[in-house]
Amino acid sequence: MTNWKAYRPLLLPPIRGLDRIEVYEQHGGYEALRRVLAEWTPARVIEEVKASGLRGRGGAGFSTGLKWSFMPPPDGRPRYLCVNGDESEPGTFKDRQILEFNPHLLIEGALIAAYAIQATAIYLYIRGEYADWIDRVEVALLQARERGYIGERVLGTDWSIAFYVHRGAGAYICGEESALMESIEGKRAYPRQKPPFPAQRGLWGRPTTINNVETLANVPLIIRHGAEWYNQIGAPKHPGPILYGISGHVNRPGVYELPSGMPIETLIYEVAGGIRGGKRLKAVIPGGSSTPPLRADQIAGVTMDAESLRAAGSMMGTAGMVVLDEDTDMVRVLVRIAEFYHHESCGQCTPCREGTGWLVKILRRIERGEGKPADLELLLEICNQMEGRTVCALADAAAWPVRHTIQRFREEFEARCRGSLFSVPEPIPSTSQ
Amino acid sequence: MPRVYIDEAVFEFEGRPRILEFCLQHGIELPYFCYHPALSIPANCRQCLVEVGQLVIDPKTGQPEFDEQGKPVVRFFPKLMPSCATELTDGMVVRTHRTSPLVRRAQQDNLEFILLNHPLDCPICDQAGECPLQELTYKFGPDSSRFEFPKVHKPKRIPLGPRVILDAERCINCTRCVRFTEEISRSRQLTIVQRGEKNYPATAPGTVFDDPYSMNTIDICPVGALTSADFRFRARVWEMASTPSICTGCARGCAITIWTRHNRVERFTPRYNPLVNDYWMCDEGRLSYRQLEENRTSGPHLRQDGELSPASWEQAIEQGAALLRSVPPHEIAVLGSAFLPLEDLYLLRRLAFEVLGTANLDYIRHEDPGFGDDFLRLSDRSPNRMGCELVGIGPTTGGLPLPQWPQALKEGRIRLVLVFGDDPLGTGVLPESEEVIWIVASSHWTPTARRAHVLLPLATHAEITGCFLNREGILQRTRPAKAIKGQQRTLVPEMGKGRLDHHGTPFDRWWGHEYYYDCRPGWHIISALMGALGLSVSYEGPHAVFLELTHRIAALHGLNYEKIGLHGLRLTPQPVAD
Repeated sequence: MTNWKAYRPLLLPPIRGLDRIEVYEQHGGYEALRRVLAEWTPARVIEEVKASGLRGRGGAGFSTGLKWSFMPPPDGRPRYLCVNGDESEPGTFKDRQILEFNPHLLIEGALIAAYAIQATAIYLYIRGEYADWIDRVEVALLQARERGYIGERVLGTDWSIAFYVHRGAGAYICGEESALMESIEGKRAYPRQKPPFPAQRGLWGRPTTINNVETLANVPLIIRHGAEWYNQIGAPKHPGPILYGISGHVNRPGVYELPSGMPIETLIYEVAGGIRGGKRLKAVIPGGSSTPPLRADQIAGVTMDAESLRAAGSMMGTAGMVVLDEDTDMVRVLVRIAEFYHHESCGQCTPCREGTGWLVKILRRIERGEGKPADLELLLEICNQMEGRTVCALADAAAWPVRHTIQRFREEFEARCRGSLFSVPEPIPSTSQ
Repeated sequence: MPRVYIDEAVFEFEGRPRILEFCLQHGIELPYFCYHPALSIPANCRQCLVEVGQLVIDPKTGQPEFDEQGKPVVRFFPKLMPSCATELTDGMVVRTHRTSPLVRRAQQDNLEFILLNHPLDCPICDQAGECPLQELTYKFGPDSSRFEFPKVHKPKRIPLGPRVILDAERCINCTRCVRFTEEISRSRQLTIVQRGEKNYPATAPGTVFDDPYSMNTIDICPVGALTSADFRFRARVWEMASTPSICTGCARGCAITIWTRHNRVERFTPRYNPLVNDYWMCDEGRLSYRQLEENRTSGPHLRQDGELSPASWEQAIEQGAALLRSVPPHEIAVLGSAFLPLEDLYLLRRLAFEVLGTANLDYIRHEDPGFGDDFLRLSDRSPNRMGCELVGIGPTTGGLPLPQWPQALKEGRIRLVLVFGDDPLGTGVLPESEEVIWIVASSHWTPTARRAHVLLPLATHAEITGCFLNREGILQRTRPAKAIKGQQRTLVPEMGKGRLDHHGTPFDRWWGHEYYYDCRPGWHIISALMGALGLSVSYEGPHAVFLELTHRIAALHGLNYEKIGLHGLRLTPQPVAD
């Protein structure tokens, strides 16, 4: 996209005081909700969102409309919508922009989603560190409640909805959907074994849909302008506006709203103003710390959408892009990332609980210059032992960066191991038979 | 019927069993730690992973598709699935470590992970010898570890409560103990604290794990993280013999295993019995084993010049019979006990009615209203009250019921009391009376035993074979777990075996020490008394008494010890057919 400067932001439009409900309403706010409640059936909302091609912005990129359609038909008992605002992945800071600058867009989107899946209550889970923005959201909710958008008989229709805000207490794992629900239930946030999926047995054992903050913020736009209009924005298979959180060694780090499918090079060199100090690029972590890093020579022509990134050997994740310049010590980067997952592993499943700690111990040894050449193979093998064998994806998220950083920056790791006083020429025997 | 293919063998199944539970039921071994049949399934240990696939069905024909080699096409899940949490479906294909190198490898990898921070202090760990982690590591684990770092250190020797001690380093975070307090005992006293590899179970600050069922967590702990404050470091598992029996602490009659070492009872553990107690028992019942070695009577005693002095069994039986003959039958009262097995109760009834000719026969009701709860514990603290009712321990026409005995004792209308297996003086049910003659069969030195004119030491339930009928009408049987002096030959084949030399011979250096008591089973004492009183009976053993009982009591008709088995059976209570 060459004329990215011509793009008009939709999620975070440059309007002063948009977090106040009267400003939001002046700019067409809550019209989509009014229209949906007055004219649309829940099924039509789901169809529209399906047709729009909206994909989840929480990292997995699953079709939002399809996810909604998994909800069983209502049986008169409670059912829930959870909004995941526990944004905690290193390199990711986009949901907080919505919570701060456009909370009503999220609230409206959540209400439309709740109507579509016929939920009886919405739980908005925000990480506790976002204390200031939690306050803002609560003020916005108060305003919305006063105007009759939330509560009994919304806008005079016979549809009622409750809306609660739940503060996290500082655990990354609470961003995992089933751990988040355990946390809301007041339990220790251990992710649940799936199946059953949340649509079958979610919050308090009832059908539940869980969506990311940014995902739901897109929903009013789809209703307002139509699925076809939305479908035209950005990459065809991954359409819509994306909040790119660009951090690292760039001149202008920050959150930028642009269409999906932006070339990585454009984002780094134009949007973010290029690399700090005119240095050369070494690596890009495209979507939060768990996504595999790309080498500088791997990003030519790669665009920020699920398909292109998968072809390049990485993932879209949360579009929280970390840019690393030529001076970066990749061993140090990897140690830091591995330490994060080690610190945040909930400890429920054996491979993750033990594997994350083991990875860190070996990586620190390599960083100290005491690594053995066989350590790299051992690290990759530990990744094999962790990946896909746990209840949730945290073990995968811990293993991917280790695997791909070693594969793509192997010479750096080998150089570090070569200096070791303790180098062992022969590989340590594997336990496999 | 739906079919499942496990390691290329075909099984039919009903309902919606999960893979692991189905495999265990069909004798297919899979390793697991967190799964427990009585608890919820968190699938957190990841030890039971298997390959799961589905036969590809041709939509046109409805038949399975076959490839060029004629093998059915199977679509496997991309990841290994936890067999404990995965439900069987029709046409499911399961590959365990027997056919899948991937599963075999996953099991090794997982055990390597589990052992990463496990202290491996098996030589000083109480769990060694009965440790699933130890056993599964030998069976499924890697041959070595590639971990070259100091292990994570966590709290050790933490008393979670008065009866349970935690070693957090040994803990593998299976959460069985936490789930037990949430789902079974419902005290919710335990939770997991910390995060990641620092995780361990703990109580809330300022609270203790004093759940009346707390010690069950020791049994279900798959490692030595939770150990018994009582049993710690007392005996290695392989040095003990284990005997299936039942607890006599209340009318529930939980199935237990009695563990002995050198003929001393070291612990009780609950034994699975779906009819009675599932996998559990209460802490009080579990610790009641101590009574078996405390304050025991050993060797008959006769009162001479106001003092109890040792005598031979022949002298004691002869003296007892002489005393019983010296008093008119209606002045004799026979006090049975709800702690005696059916066999003893039956013979006692015969002794009272057929030999002595007294109608005064009753037993003490041991009610403890504070003891019962809504799980296992019952307020009725005697194990065989239903048995007393079944056999008919109660006054017949003209006999005095127990509440009238104190008055009759005072007035001299009862001059001799034959007490069998209970303590009427200690419990205050009967008054002490100088004029009354006490013939007492007792396993312990109770106040009644000390008052006896003739004391006949009685074997405890841990030393005999006998049947008990619990509150719900489940008939169960004890087995002798430890030997007594003058061992009954009939008891020996039933005794639990550990090491071959476990019960020893008189040539072993520990033979004849203080834990062998000179006592006899109740049926043996009663039949000796009957013989001395002129009714010659000869029972080969308790099974012969029971056989006679089955002919006399309709509810027991056709039963024998083999039929009662390990889990017992449910009786339909019927009135005494006499």
